[in-house]
Amino acid sequence: MDDSVDFLNSGIFAPFKKWGTKWSLWPVHLVTACCGVELAHAYASGYDGERLGSLNYGIARQTNLIIVEGAITRKMARVLKITYEQMPEPKFVIVMGACGLKGGLFWNGYHMVRPSDVVPVDFFVPGCPPTPESLLRAIRALQDKIMSGEARSTIEFEKYDLSGIKARSEQPLVPPSPRYCSPTPPIKLDVPRDVDWEFGEKLVEEMKSELKGLYKSITITDKNRIAIHVEKKDVVTIASKLSKKFDHVKNVNVIDIPHEDSFIVEYQLSSYSVKELMPVIVNIFARIPRSDARFPSLTVFWPSADYLEREMYDLFGIWFDGNPAMGERFLLAPDTPEFPLRKDRKLREEQYYEEVKQ
Amino acid sequence: MTEREVVLDVPVQPPTDLFLPIPKKFLEEAYRGDDYVVLVGPQHPGSGHMRLILRIKGDVILEAIPDPGYVHRCMEKLAENRLYIQNIPLFERPAIMDTGNVTLGYVRAIENALDVEVPERAKYIRMILAELSRIGTHLYDAGILAVFLGHTTGFMWPFALREPIVEAITRISGVRVTSSFIIPGGVRRDVPWKTLEFVRKTTFVLEKRLKSFEKIFIRNPTVIERLKDVGVLSKEEAIKFGVVGPFLRASGVEYDVRAVEPYEAYDSVSWEIPISDHGDSYSRFLVRVEEIAQSISIIRQAVNELRSMPEGNIISEDILQEYSEVASSDIRGFFFKVFGNLVLPSGEFTSLTEAARGTLLYSIISDGESNIPYRARVITPGWYYLKGFMEALRGERLADLQAIYGSFGYFPPEADR
Repeated sequence: MDDSVDFLNSGIFAPFKKWGTKWSLWPVHLVTACCGVELAHAYASGYDGERLGSLNYGIARQTNLIIVEGAITRKMARVLKITYEQMPEPKFVIVMGACGLKGGLFWNGYHMVRPSDVVPVDFFVPGCPPTPESLLRAIRALQDKIMSGEARSTIEFEKYDLSGIKARSEQPLVPPSPRYCSPTPPIKLDVPRDVDWEFGEKLVEEMKSELKGLYKSITITDKNRIAIHVEKKDVVTIASKLSKKFDHVKNVNVIDIPHEDSFIVEYQLSSYSVKELMPVIVNIFARIPRSDARFPSLTVFWPSADYLEREMYDLFGIWFDGNPAMGERFLLAPDTPEFPLRKDRKLREEQYYEEVKQ
Repeated sequence: MTEREVVLDVPVQPPTDLFLPIPKKFLEEAYRGDDYVVLVGPQHPGSGHMRLILRIKGDVILEAIPDPGYVHRCMEKLAENRLYIQNIPLFERPAIMDTGNVTLGYVRAIENALDVEVPERAKYIRMILAELSRIGTHLYDAGILAVFLGHTTGFMWPFALREPIVEAITRISGVRVTSSFIIPGGVRRDVPWKTLEFVRKTTFVLEKRLKSFEKIFIRNPTVIERLKDVGVLSKEEAIKFGVVGPFLRASGVEYDVRAVEPYEAYDSVSWEIPISDHGDSYSRFLVRVEEIAQSISIIRQAVNELRSMPEGNIISEDILQEYSEVASSDIRGFFFKVFGNLVLPSGEFTSLTEAARGTLLYSIISDGESNIPYRARVITPGWYYLKGFMEALRGERLADLQAIYGSFGYFPPEADR
């Protein structure tokens, strides 16, 4: 078996095999992120990648090229590896986009992986996103590599001797970031705002009489926005009353405030069926202690809150009592650090430039 | 014929070590009920990456469970660690083909907080960019639908149609897709008359070529057969599961954020909300085709309006303040000085935008002290209609999965953020 493989790669038919591989680079469908838009353009009629013998194909078993389009997440890394291993030899990898190179915009994200750590990469295409021309250039470079056996960079930069130039000052030339993060800020969601909104005032009066004794405050925070501050124990009663008017949930949000030892859980409600209430967003929010991160699930009243609640469990670890899918990962990979959006989970600090290792 | 129990000697066990986000009970029940559990994806012959876990009886889908998150790029966490202005390109990345709308939503939330009134000319330029991206996204989704149906010509046409749109966006902003052109207070640069004329001419090209596309794909009998009466979502279901955008309108709900809570200059141009009562895959597609026609009409009206406006005033003076003399027509060079130390007042600021695929929500929570958001919440249309998409699959045949997936235009990078 090995003899015949060797014969194929170095025997008299080897040039034909190389030639055949060169003109049949078939990338598998693996649209990993947003660069897929430009990949689609490269293979559509505007740029016609097919004239280079390259054509997107559905199934990994019959393809020999992976074009990684941008960011690879922890969850996707496993899939990338499996797809790569499914493909027959010879196989190649081209990585598109800044995210695939060094992380790009998402370089310090908790869910990001560099594709070069997962699979061997032949060519990188820089850009955010790279143009279709540069992707096709990478395919041409790969064809050259197949024929000549060595990977060559398609761009050569001129090198300048900087040893004679003195730095103007000791300080680095990049200005420091003006970022200022207040350590213990007060968080207030119901800041009143003076707006000309008659219907809203009427609506607030209606709500006040309907929810008597159940709320702490009802505030108009903006035009078409109403915030209701409630206690956790009253949430279900309020939801059952409001669900007659408001038929869907626009947002389930959690705000982590470690210095006040609390989470704020908010539900933003709106309506599709009542015409006057369509633009109105009613925000019910309650504070819960950080040690007891449990909240009643409101999926009984609004099934549209289901995935939003599951997402919030994933990111913050708020246990929504009554949602059957609690305790399971939804968006995140199993090996991601737990509850990454809590404030005590820090990201790596911003840095403007990276020292190049010699 | 009587039913009889088939006993296999092969020891079949429900798998235990696949990391599947489904309860073990689900697998065991399917095993006992003689159903199949079929995993579709994450690498599948369509576009975009998510896993669908389907429970199938015969070839009828009993239940569909999504496994999203393959493109979850931690946007909300990253946004908490960056300046307000640095978040514009970050929040553009969920759906780069829809660049106008996604950045518009975030920028409007900031403007609302700072109480900034945008100059009239900037409003119209933003509207043109938003509508160009809307057409571009609808065409992109039409191409992806064609890929799902195995219709290669149907893929080539909309992508050829996208080229003039990409060219128009390039002439306006300087880049093909990721323009980040809309900034708090206005737009980055003024758009010269020559470019606007190009945009207007582009709409005629689009209109003409869309007619041929209609013959080739939209009215193609095979396409109609694949999409008609497939994946029906009734009006009640659509409301219950919080479906958004054209997919909600295809089920008969007349809800469009542009009409409900008008922003920019949408209340001063005339357009209609296309709706349909069928709620099937074909009407979900047709509603978007009709929206392209409406967008073309909006763009023409906006270009005509811009003709009578004086050039130059494109960034609000409220935001420029002492730089209003030097930076009012061109912000380049003053970006850091003007926006570097932007601090929002304390409170929560929620903005709703009608992106191409539906409602887009940004909710910024500011503490009033830091120049970074305390919490930034973004919910993209894809994430909203995922639940409705799963419900539409229920009771359909496995062979129709592609048609339904394509008709929703589900784009995982957008849904996962």
